Amino acid sequence: MILTGILLAVVGLGLIGWFVGRGRARLLYDGRGSMHSMPNYHGWHLALWIVVPALVVWAVWSGIQPGLVEGALLADPAAAALPDNAMHRSAIISQAYLLANDPGAAVFASEAQALAAPLRAIITRFSLIGALLVAIVAFTGGAYGFTRIRARFEARTQVERVVMGVLLLASLMAILTTFGIVASLVFEAGLFFKDVSPIAFLTGTHWSPGNAMGADIDENFGAVPLFWGTIYIGAIIAMAVAIPLGLMSAVYLTQYASRRVRKWLKPILEILAGIPTVVYGYFAALTVAPMIRDFAASMGADNPSTESALAAGLVMGVMIIPFVSSMADDALAAVPRAMSDGSLALGATRSETIKKVLLPAALPGIVAGVMLAISRAIGETMIVVMAAGAAANLSANPLDSMTTVTFQIVQLLTGDQEFNSPKTLSAFALGLILFIVTLVLNIIALRVVKRFREAYE
Amino acid sequence: MSNPTWQSPEAQKRLAKRHAAERRFKALGLGAVVLSVAFLALLLVIMLKNGLGGLDWSFLSGADSTNPDIAGVWGAAKGSLLTMLVTLLLAFPMGVLAAIYLEEFAPRNKWIDIVEVSINNLAAVPSIIFGLLGLAVFINTLHLPRSSPMVGGLTLALMTMPVIVISGRNAIKAVPPSIREAAYGIGASKVQTTFHHVLPLALPGILTGTIIGMARALGETAPLLMIGMRAFVATPPGGVTDPSSVLPMQIFLWSDEIDKGFVQNTSAAIIVLLVFLLAMNGLAIYLRNKFEVRW
Repeated sequence: MILTGILLAVVGLGLIGWFVGRGRARLLYDGRGSMHSMPNYHGWHLALWIVVPALVVWAVWSGIQPGLVEGALLADPAAAALPDNAMHRSAIISQAYLLANDPGAAVFASEAQALAAPLRAIITRFSLIGALLVAIVAFTGGAYGFTRIRARFEARTQVERVVMGVLLLASLMAILTTFGIVASLVFEAGLFFKDVSPIAFLTGTHWSPGNAMGADIDENFGAVPLFWGTIYIGAIIAMAVAIPLGLMSAVYLTQYASRRVRKWLKPILEILAGIPTVVYGYFAALTVAPMIRDFAASMGADNPSTESALAAGLVMGVMIIPFVSSMADDALAAVPRAMSDGSLALGATRSETIKKVLLPAALPGIVAGVMLAISRAIGETMIVVMAAGAAANLSANPLDSMTTVTFQIVQLLTGDQEFNSPKTLSAFALGLILFIVTLVLNIIALRVVKRFREAYE
Repeated sequence: MSNPTWQSPEAQKRLAKRHAAERRFKALGLGAVVLSVAFLALLLVIMLKNGLGGLDWSFLSGADSTNPDIAGVWGAAKGSLLTMLVTLLLAFPMGVLAAIYLEEFAPRNKWIDIVEVSINNLAAVPSIIFGLLGLAVFINTLHLPRSSPMVGGLTLALMTMPVIVISGRNAIKAVPPSIREAAYGIGASKVQTTFHHVLPLALPGILTGTIIGMARALGETAPLLMIGMRAFVATPPGGVTDPSSVLPMQIFLWSDEIDKGFVQNTSAAIIVLLVFLLAMNGLAIYLRNKFEVRW
């Protein structure tokens, strides 16, 4: 592509400009204090004057060139033979583009062959015009920058101003991402709620988006079973595993284990947090779920399903252990040593001190950690996709197959249906709910943690 | 001379009870740790048992296939490599620059508070939400090629950037003020001080955080599922715009196959992925131990 070549050429020119500017500035140096800025900064200043305006022109030109090429092609005599049917016509044109880029490409429209040669000429023509424009701007910018090289010129101040601008832009990316998430979720969810009433969505108990059509569309988008499944797996089963194990691990590692044992066990425990969720999902589906099914069968359950809420929740709980453990670790470490020392001095045993003094004092931090853990568990996707099942059951039996919000988002968006059907849009509505819930949990938890830390400082 | 109350059988009994409770509590704590580690061991042993037999050169160099015997992992690994490259090129400079700005230059005002809150929240947003963002913005609005490492890398970069910003800020914060004051003292400007003195000293910490963030991105599946990187790709991708798969996605796709032969493939691919992750984390720990300066 010629456009890519131009880009490289601009960067090359900038590099040359850097050396030229620096060399020119060095000639101006005659003794200490004779210049405001070091020669390097003059180099940077000149390079910026060459590259930045040229890049702006390049970006604008690559935006408008395809339109110009298309217009010129249709005005070309070779395009007069094109059929009037818009779809047929655009098919031929896109084939011609393929041929123009790669003469050996296999095409099936014979008209495209005739168009390819003029099209190639047009693309070359416009690319050359673009290259010329960029070159003119680069040299004008460079010339202006060059005339400003003086001993007293404050090149460093100018360059640093640009650096500050770049830094500010980088930090605004975070806001932009948050805004992008909120905007895209709200927009698509808004389209969905045009078709389906929000009240039916939030309070309905029947979920089958597959056969949602026509007048009774509201009745098939009741998301309560999804919310229930999410809470049951993520906030009840997973936490029943993660809270006791994580908390007790933290207590053992901080209060009982010797330094050497702690040094080894803590990283090993943290490996659990580093294992990808898809591996947990596979493990849940391959090993844990059949084990639970066999266990259920031996307990007399008739026809237990392989996909159970229990399998997904158990494995998810194990995944969360290191997270709970490190949050509890921080909370316990924040309790002043004088408090536990005082308790021990009164004759309490270690476990009495932990239960009666340390844990109550660290409770706010631990609760915040659990909230963060819940927000992570309900947003977890791969484990439930691979182990929890698709049936939207509203049941309290952990051996039943249950579905979650994240599972349904995946299910709804990985098929090949058109993008604007209520079925696909409902995924964004579910995403919006998930986003809001996790956001609220995170904000509250971070507040609690902050206040808790301040209380003991 | 001795207090009879302390030596009475009742007191001795109570003391013994308390000590027993103490031992029980300690055993409970040890049990929790052992149970967690045992689960990890079980997971690793099962993966090794199932997958080790499938690890050979043709598996490591082949691409996906419908036949489990000739299906290999290189196509997905190359997709992962390209995706990570895009992620690194975007998230690392952006994250480091944002961390520098927030830690060294940002004025204390409401706008900066909003930036900080949104970075902290983005680090905790479920990854699947980033997938929805990628689908809505990169694919449906900007019409970038579906299933390509470019879109995958962009999406993961948005997810990884907050992690890099947070670890970068901590690393920059750890550089003592005396370094900055010494630089100011010999006439350096604020930008010079930051880029010539603070940044090089903070770099090991930033790199450690970056590697950990990249390791997380490498294992991520859900957001890539959203942007369609679940296509069956029988040839390794040639560039960042070709349709491609990634390692965790390959694991997910194979785990769905009915053919028994894919159980071995899935486990073998998991071993490959875990080796990569272990190597990255090992590198991070090595960097931290080798270059970290305790002030």
